[in-house]
Amino acid sequence: MFGSPPLARFAPLALLLIAGFALPQVLPQYFLFLGNILMMYAVLALGLDILLGWAGQFAFAHVAFFGIGTYTTALLQARLGVPFVIGMPLGAALAGLIGLVIGFPATRLRTVYLALATFAFAEAAQWVFNAWDKVTGGPDGLRISAPSVLGYATGSDPTAFPVMAAILALMIAATMYLTTSKLGRAMCAVRESEHVAAASGIDVNATKVAAFAISAIYAGVAGGMFTLFQSFVNPDVFSFGQIVLLLSMIVVGGLGSIPGVLIGVALLGLLPEIMRTTMRAFLVWQEFGYGVILVLVIMFMPRGIWGMIVARRGAP
Amino acid sequence: MSPLVLQGIASGVVTGCVYALIAISLVIVYKSSDVINFAGGEMVMLGGYIGMFALIGLGLPYLLIFPFAAVAIFAVGALFDRLVLTRTRHLALPGQSALVAMVIGTVGLSYVIKGAVRVVPYTEDVHRLPPISAGTPIFIGPVVLQQQDVAIVLAAIVIMVALWAFFSFTMAGKALRATSQNPRAASLVGIPVPLMSMTAWGLAAALAGVAGVLLAPKLLLTPDSGIIVILALAAAIIGGFTSLPGCVAGGILLGVVQNLIGVFVSSRAISLAPFLVIMLVLLVRPQGLFAGKATAKKV
Repeated sequence: MFGSPPLARFAPLALLLIAGFALPQVLPQYFLFLGNILMMYAVLALGLDILLGWAGQFAFAHVAFFGIGTYTTALLQARLGVPFVIGMPLGAALAGLIGLVIGFPATRLRTVYLALATFAFAEAAQWVFNAWDKVTGGPDGLRISAPSVLGYATGSDPTAFPVMAAILALMIAATMYLTTSKLGRAMCAVRESEHVAAASGIDVNATKVAAFAISAIYAGVAGGMFTLFQSFVNPDVFSFGQIVLLLSMIVVGGLGSIPGVLIGVALLGLLPEIMRTTMRAFLVWQEFGYGVILVLVIMFMPRGIWGMIVARRGAP
Repeated sequence: MSPLVLQGIASGVVTGCVYALIAISLVIVYKSSDVINFAGGEMVMLGGYIGMFALIGLGLPYLLIFPFAAVAIFAVGALFDRLVLTRTRHLALPGQSALVAMVIGTVGLSYVIKGAVRVVPYTEDVHRLPPISAGTPIFIGPVVLQQQDVAIVLAAIVIMVALWAFFSFTMAGKALRATSQNPRAASLVGIPVPLMSMTAWGLAAALAGVAGVLLAPKLLLTPDSGIIVILALAAAIIGGFTSLPGCVAGGILLGVVQNLIGVFVSSRAISLAPFLVIMLVLLVRPQGLFAGKATAKKV
């Protein structure tokens, strides 16, 4: 499975693109809003999975990069009038750059220590979003003006939907290329054993730093996507709860696989909605139920749903 | 030194003692199963509520609510290890994926506890545990200490000494240490490793629960009080995350630093202190301020 992935594997992406343009014509606005949120989470989760599922680095800084991407894109647009097609890549690049810097300590720290250091970074970043109120608006939040993408006005759920679908398709394709590339293989090797990877001529530290930067770029892109369909942002969006939700998504779906991540995002993203509509009387139990589901998945499918499907099929 | 600074240091020592207890709980879990227990804060919160229920609801005397809460939370921790983590350990792939799954499991447990506490009607009104001992404050020079603060420090010291004696002199304590150092060798000499893991989780949970009972008179208990685990994590990291005396030093250091930042910088910066401390310590001395030279972790 070296080199570029076979063309047939891109077929679902074509379907996603077609759906992106067709669904806004038929679905009510609320479903499109849900779809937009899920697509944004999908990009976030794919990025986190590169770091955790492929490179095996247990890090919590993802929401910070998500915030950096969102604020950069939104502020460039609001203050300097930079269009989305330039602002979003700039936001992603800034997130990637900071990811690169954060990646260096990762070459010194392992497992829980890395998790705690990046957790502290995420909390400190959220503190900055809160305290730097001259720029970010602080806890009062920041209004996002509706961006236009190459002359196509977005800002509402139906108009943003096709653009979101296109970006998601692009990011999935990028992930497919990345994971079959030499760098992707190197990440797997580092995950399995750093000693063996180093002995086979892989630069372990460079691979880790690259994984951090790439993962941060995904989060930055998701931050740009946020500005497409939301009109308001405040620091609560980037709280620790989000990283827990993202981690739950990729662990429930299955670490280190694109379909697994997408299944996890869809399941845990829709779960609160399903519980809200079908079990109205049990609404207070939502937090409890969410916890029970997480624990049950960990008990019976520690490799996630996709991991279980793969094991059942007996395929590699 | 100005009285304000001295007072800050004294109050910092009091809160630091409680951070230290929670930090010890986290470290016991980490040493027994390599997992950060993200439900640690919720165990503290649950302990506070159970203590309050025992005192106000059941009318138990104040001294009895500590063992009551400890036993109840011990069961929570031990059952979680037995029912959830044991399965995960066996089913997961070797290496890190098991670790991640187990950490997510503790996150799930934190939601279960928080959600359960939220739906119990008892927690709808805000309760406050009466102070352990009310009375005239104690003056030490310019420093004023509430009797309750003194009681918290004394209780923390008693618990720490008891733990030290347990880990140093009893068979069970030594078996726990052996299991954490090398589970395979421990099982070869006849130590029941799964039972030890269960005991460690129960002990850690009970410790967190007792810390919750100690803390409940000082702060208003809500189902979201579990956030305190962040401070305990910071304390544990300062101490190197594997050393129990390090936890005590780290907790007290953190409590004092927080109060001094409140005095000298601003009260807004207090909440940032633990994160800066975590990052600084991990970057400069990843093995913690009090641990010896960093050694390779078992593979």
